[in-house]
Amino acid sequence: MHRKPLIATLLLVMAGGLAVAPLAAQERTEIQFWMWGAGPHLQDVIRAVLVDPYNRSQDDFELVMEFRNDVDSVIASVLPAGGGPDLVYGSGPAFVRPFAAAGHLASMEPYAEKYGWRDRILTPIYEAGTVGGDLYALPNSLNTMGVFYNKVLFAENGWEIPATFEELEAIMDDALAQGLYASVTGNKGWRPVNENYTQLFLTHWAGPQATYDAITGRIPWTDPAIAGAMRKSAEWFQADYLAGEDYFNLNFLDAVSLLESNDAPFFFGPSLVFQFATSFYSEESGNLDNLGFFPLPSRAGLPSPIFLLGTTASLSINAYSPPEVQDAVGAIIDRMMTQEFLVGMTEGWPGYWGVPISSLDVDLDDFSGLSHGFLSAIQDAIAAVNAGNFGYSPSTFFPPATQTAFFDIDSVWLGELTVEDFLANVQTAYEEDKAAGLVAPVPPPGMGG
Amino acid sequence: MLLAPALCLSVAVVLAPGLMTAYVAFTDWNGVSLSMNWIGAVNFEKIFADRVFWKALGNNVRWTLLFLTVPVGVGLLTAMLLLKRRRTRTLYQMIYLGPYVLAPVTNAILWLNIILNPVSGLLRHVRHLFPRGSPLAPLRSPLGNPDTALYFVAMVDIWHYWGFLTVIYLAALRQTPQELVEAATVEGAGALHLFRFIYLPTILPTVLLTFVIITIFSFLTFEYVYIMTGGGPAHGSEMLSTYAYTLAFNAFQYGKAAATGLVMSAFGLLASVFYVYMSRREASA
Repeated sequence: MHRKPLIATLLLVMAGGLAVAPLAAQERTEIQFWMWGAGPHLQDVIRAVLVDPYNRSQDDFELVMEFRNDVDSVIASVLPAGGGPDLVYGSGPAFVRPFAAAGHLASMEPYAEKYGWRDRILTPIYEAGTVGGDLYALPNSLNTMGVFYNKVLFAENGWEIPATFEELEAIMDDALAQGLYASVTGNKGWRPVNENYTQLFLTHWAGPQATYDAITGRIPWTDPAIAGAMRKSAEWFQADYLAGEDYFNLNFLDAVSLLESNDAPFFFGPSLVFQFATSFYSEESGNLDNLGFFPLPSRAGLPSPIFLLGTTASLSINAYSPPEVQDAVGAIIDRMMTQEFLVGMTEGWPGYWGVPISSLDVDLDDFSGLSHGFLSAIQDAIAAVNAGNFGYSPSTFFPPATQTAFFDIDSVWLGELTVEDFLANVQTAYEEDKAAGLVAPVPPPGMGG
Repeated sequence: MLLAPALCLSVAVVLAPGLMTAYVAFTDWNGVSLSMNWIGAVNFEKIFADRVFWKALGNNVRWTLLFLTVPVGVGLLTAMLLLKRRRTRTLYQMIYLGPYVLAPVTNAILWLNIILNPVSGLLRHVRHLFPRGSPLAPLRSPLGNPDTALYFVAMVDIWHYWGFLTVIYLAALRQTPQELVEAATVEGAGALHLFRFIYLPTILPTVLLTFVIITIFSFLTFEYVYIMTGGGPAHGSEMLSTYAYTLAFNAFQYGKAAATGLVMSAFGLLASVFYVYMSRREASA
């Protein structure tokens, strides 16, 4: 066999390939979107519902997703250096506010106007994403605190869904007496989980008005109403109502597993927990009907139910991306802020994509299992927000140092710090945030959608 | 001229970030803003007034003392024992190095999920031997208690680290001149005397160097604490590194984080100065 013609042919093919490859690559501009490291089956869902349809819908851009567990700290490092993804995913409006104030995020006002977001998004949530009156972040999902409960244990024990704190505590006492956990939850691997339980008591014990007054500086954080809520949270922890010492050795996945295995009647958690439930509740296991969700009752004297208004994450636009890419990212975010996207994502990934649209017009009977549960929770939350019955999530409404100071609640629970000292620290952090201009406008209680 | 590449690299990678950190410690920079204001020593005043800083510093000192004693003691003991096992010591060294060659995140996750997980770990199975609520079943994860969390995380890190010290000390012990050992043995020296008067003086520079390295790394320790407890519960295992991380990445207070970083560096510097002093004293002796 003659080798020279063969080699020449191979070289020609390679040269041709090299020449064509850049042309092919130049056809589409990449749009980078990084988010946290969701499981592979969940990654497939967003690729099928967002990435692939978007890439098929036009020929100019290629949406590329990367999944990173350390996305927050990576973005905090690369964005100020003028890099990072085009579609910026953050831990919530409170997280991205300093980046917006520093000019690292593009104003989304032109897209808000073009796509009519102000009319389509829940007003308090929309306002939470503004800095100096301009929109910089839209949440990817509503996230409200509630109670996941084990229907099997409820049926066995003849328990009814509690309407008051006292009824709730009576069931937990009963569970503890039976050798069960009163509830399961924990902050293993993610200490900020603590804020779920401060916000729970701020909303349902201190009440939205007292919380609003503190966030806006009308009352100090050391106010008796806030102190009473923190004291109640300590009372709960010390009564083993929050998984006892195992709180520090459980994460949400462990907690859902224990709930499913009838080790506890309750899991007080954010609605995003529905996504973890997909690992334990399924059609195949025949246990989809064993998981229920209801809003936490409020202390006597407060409206009930109140839905805590929070977000799982936020979507923004990189200020350093080229203008045409920014426009494309605006269009992608618009694609996401729709009922169609919400429903499409929720069918495969319930819990994480309850986009904050102001009305959700779906027939719940068309859905089953976890999607049904999550959509029902989101529908109720939207109705409550529209009626003005909402509380304030730290990751959405609190400035960063104040939010961080609340992580320290476990020091109160374990008797290392008094409620007074804890709240004095929160107040100091709040004053530092205020001096740094990081206190954002907060929608007043009662503001409808 | 020949030094230029190394010098440039050192300036770019070590000196410039170091100087920047020192400067930021005296500013109100939030880590993302394009501007920063000089505020003098305010960040230091604030962290020194914070009980969590002192708790973290105390934990770092405890951690350093633990690492200067437990793994060093175990490492020296096992190295001495292996010294006599000429045929099998290579195998033992490989086994001891097992945890050390695994990534810290792997080790930490292994302990968290296989040993301590109350859902599927060893802890659950042991706990189920006793009825819940009985006085014989107070079995809780040591990571859930602020008084024990630090020690348990340190234990896991020591489990990962002591094998490395064994290998280092064994290599140093093998440099001891055999004629000294034989002469002392003929003179009737026992194992303790052999160690005290023959082996220890030979390996002392190595031991001192490991002391310095342990001290420096103890004040920089981060991975195990961050992964296993995040500094909790109630700051029970908070270290200066996790404290600085929270200030920088959660509270956006980079000035305070940089000030904490300078304090951490000061302890490393102190250890290095001590090492240089000891080395010079030894050289002049």
